[in-house]
Order: sequence, then C-alpha cells, then structure tokens
Amino acid sequence: MTEYPSLRLSGFGDIDFAAQAASEGPRGFSEGQFVLHLASALSPRVNVFGELSLTPRVDAGTGSPAATGFNAEVERIIIRFDQSDHLKVSFGRYHTPINWWNTAFHHGQWLQTTISRPEMVQFGGRFIPVHFVGALVEGSVPASGWNVNYQAGIGNGRGNVISRGGDAGDNNARPAYLLNVFTKPDRAFGLQVGGSLYFDRISSPGRPEFDERIVAGHAVWQREDPEAIFEVADVRHELAGGATATSNLAYYAQLAYRLPSAFRLWKPYYRFEHIDIDAADAGFTGVPNLDASTIGVRFDISSYAAIKTEGRIRRRAADQARTNGWFLQICFTF
Amino acid sequence: MPCRGYPERRRLLLRLMVCAALIRFTAAASAQAPSGIAVVVHPDVPVDNLTVSELRRLVLGDREFWPAGIRVTLLIRAPVARERDVVLKDLCQMTEAQFRQHWIGKVFRADTALAPKIVYSTAMAIDLVNRTPGAITFVDASQLTRGLKVVRIDGRLPTDKGYALP
Repeated sequence: MTEYPSLRLSGFGDIDFAAQAASEGPRGFSEGQFVLHLASALSPRVNVFGELSLTPRVDAGTGSPAATGFNAEVERIIIRFDQSDHLKVSFGRYHTPINWWNTAFHHGQWLQTTISRPEMVQFGGRFIPVHFVGALVEGSVPASGWNVNYQAGIGNGRGNVISRGGDAGDNNARPAYLLNVFTKPDRAFGLQVGGSLYFDRISSPGRPEFDERIVAGHAVWQREDPEAIFEVADVRHELAGGATATSNLAYYAQLAYRLPSAFRLWKPYYRFEHIDIDAADAGFTGVPNLDASTIGVRFDISSYAAIKTEGRIRRRAADQARTNGWFLQICFTF
Repeated sequence: MPCRGYPERRRLLLRLMVCAALIRFTAAASAQAPSGIAVVVHPDVPVDNLTVSELRRLVLGDREFWPAGIRVTLLIRAPVARERDVVLKDLCQMTEAQFRQHWIGKVFRADTALAPKIVYSTAMAIDLVNRTPGAITFVDASQLTRGLKVVRIDGRLPTDKGYALP
C-alpha cells in the first residue's frame, strides 16, 4: 500500500511584531523563520527526515560581497533504521535531545503555545548545545506501563563557536556523549518525566579548553487543560586539567490552559524563567543572567494557524532596570 | 358472501399494520442503539487482545511495531465519522484539533515518517485492513463482515458489557 520513497513535505512560518528595548532584539514587523520539513520512508524500516530553515538577516545587502537576505540552514538531517520499538539507530544532525523543548517543537512556532522559546534553549544561544552531529540509539520499552524511553548518542559536540554544533567535524579528539531517559506512564496519560546527561570537551581557538557536563531534567503535562512544562539544567564547566570548575543554572516553568466550550480557541499562558551564570565561567563570557516573566494568550484562528500575543518583563541583573516588551505573532503550518 | 370477507380483510390489514409498525419500531430501535467500535487488524497481526493503553499508544504513534516486528499501519476514518469521534474522544481524550496537532508534531519531531492513512468509508477500511500487512482500523461493530480479525480490548469484544469503545 505504501510506495517507497514516500516523501511528505510540510512547512512552518510566522510573521512577528515586537515593541521592546533595542537591546533585547528586533522591533516592528519581522519575518520569522520559513521552515520546510521533509519526511520520507525509504522502506518499512528506513526513514529520512530533514528540516531546512530560511532566516532573515539583519545585515542583508551590506558588506562586500553583499550579504544575502536570508540565512539558509540545514537544521536537521537524519537517517534512521528502525529495528523495532526497542531499538532505532540513526545518524545525522539533530536538535540535541537533552532538553524537552528543543526536541518537542524544533523550529515549528505553530507547535509551541508561546511566541518565544525559553532563553535557555534559544536558537543561537549558548547555554545548551542546540545542535548535535553524530549517531543516536533510541527506543522504548513498556516496563509494566511506565513506557520508558531512552536515547544515547555520540557526536561532535560544540564547535569552535560554541552556539553551533561541529557540522564539518569535531574540533578536538574528545567526542560528546549524551543520555536521555524519560517515562510516559500509562496511569497518568499526558505526563512525561525525564532526565539527561551530556558530556563534551569545548575547544575554541585562542581560549583554554573546558570539560562540559550538563545535567538536565523535565516534567511535562502535555494535555491542554492544563498544559504544564518545567525544565531545569545545570551546566558545569571545568578547565581541562581540573583547575577551576564553575556551575550555571537555568530553569523555566510554563503553565497554559485551553479554555472550555465556547472559548476553546483561546489559550492563556504564563512562563517564568531564570538563568544564573557564574561570573567566573570563562566559557559563558557574555551570556546574560535572566529573570523573566512572559504572559500571553494564543488564539487558534484555524486548525493550522494561530495568533499569539504576549508581554515579557525581563531583568538582566539585580542593579539593572527591567525591560518590557510586547509581541504579536501569526504562525501557521502548511 | 362478500360481506363475510370484509372482517377477514380488515383483520389481515390490521395484522399487516401491526407487523409494519413492529418492523419500523425494531429498525428504529436498532438504529438508535449504539453499537461498539470494533478494532480490526490484518489477519497476520499476531495479537488477539490489547489493553486500552496499548491501543492508545498505537493510535498516537508511540508504538510502531507489532510483536513479530511488523510495522503498524494505522487506518483511521476521516473527520465526522462516528468511528473517528469515538477513538479520539474516548481513547485518545483529544479533540479533532489536538489530534491533528499531535500527528503534525509527531512527524515533525521525526518520531515517524508515516502519518495515519485516512479511509473514507467502512468498506474502504475493511478492504485496506485485509490487504495491508500490519494494518489496524476501527469499524462500527454493526457493520462487521465475516472473516475480519477483531481484537479484544481488555479482554472484551464490542458486544460485551464495559467495552472501551462504546
């Protein structure tokens, strides 16, 4: 019945409006990312997935040669062999599966309730390695209704620019390792609880090498009445050789609720997030602290499009004033 | 003589009217009585019974293989069909919009490359489930035909009391 390859193409897009302090990001109208997703079964057990994004550039048309209008990026390209539900082996470029948000929504703005991602998993951010190039073994076991899922990976880890994965190869001789385990128990349908470990050596030209260890956890109630997401991550950096160690903590908690009956198209939400960077951490120089609240509402104008509006209140340091912003987004899938 | 025939004809007419009324009443009653939604699988699927949780995981794509290593192909009725409504509401506890978003997200997350296949009639569901290895679908129990492999849910068939998909 299924013909191979069976290519399925889908896309995501968003148009945004922002009114905020210039230091926090773009203002006025902006094009969001234009994202194409490709999924193709090559046989009953072999699948290929790809995610391409086009992101408008702030410096479009400047420089010599002139910068292009958009950055094109292969966000994900994965080939996976499915032996069974217990064992699937894949190779490629992933969104690092040590963080729930990163692998639940990817670049699909329409999929997430809010306009913004939590800053700890911001694309282009440095706190969590967003991309991972390598190999992954994953699967799930029923475990008497606990439905335990696992993902274990080996890859290149962070690149010379630590916000990027090592796409063109590892920049040191130490690969990155990760392990992610979570449960989706039958008795509490909608609940997912899990934790992750990530180890890597960070090498940046002209800077000392660090060993990085990330311990992360999440608890998510995925139903919409309510929807609750909590994630925490501790990123520890230790100078190679064990001289100095620093620890950085980030977490967020998000609560949303799909209103009942006649108001079911409306979904108000609130998120609090916190990032605490150790001032002595040379690997995270320039990564700002954060205490932020986001409050907003999502309105689903169709099954495949939504309008969201939210206000954000952010404080970067105790002695600095708060910055406020108001945002509007129209997002869709097609 | 013709006068004697009238009461007989009247009695016959009365009997016919009573029969017609009974047939009509029975038909109306059977149309109103909800029959369960049967879970039908391809004859080669080596499963006779599923728990509600296992069935939910199959419908939501969290389980992709049958025990013998056969890939699951989910055939689900198009929106508005009663079979779909019952599966979404009673089994997945989702609205139509939530179910669509779930599957768009599922494919986008690279959990699976194959979304459920839509079937537009009971006849189409029955035809495809018998022709597609690993297929599973949902059929109104009153429309089951001979030779279909119906799976029990928590040990119950659609005619049993307490069946999960009423």
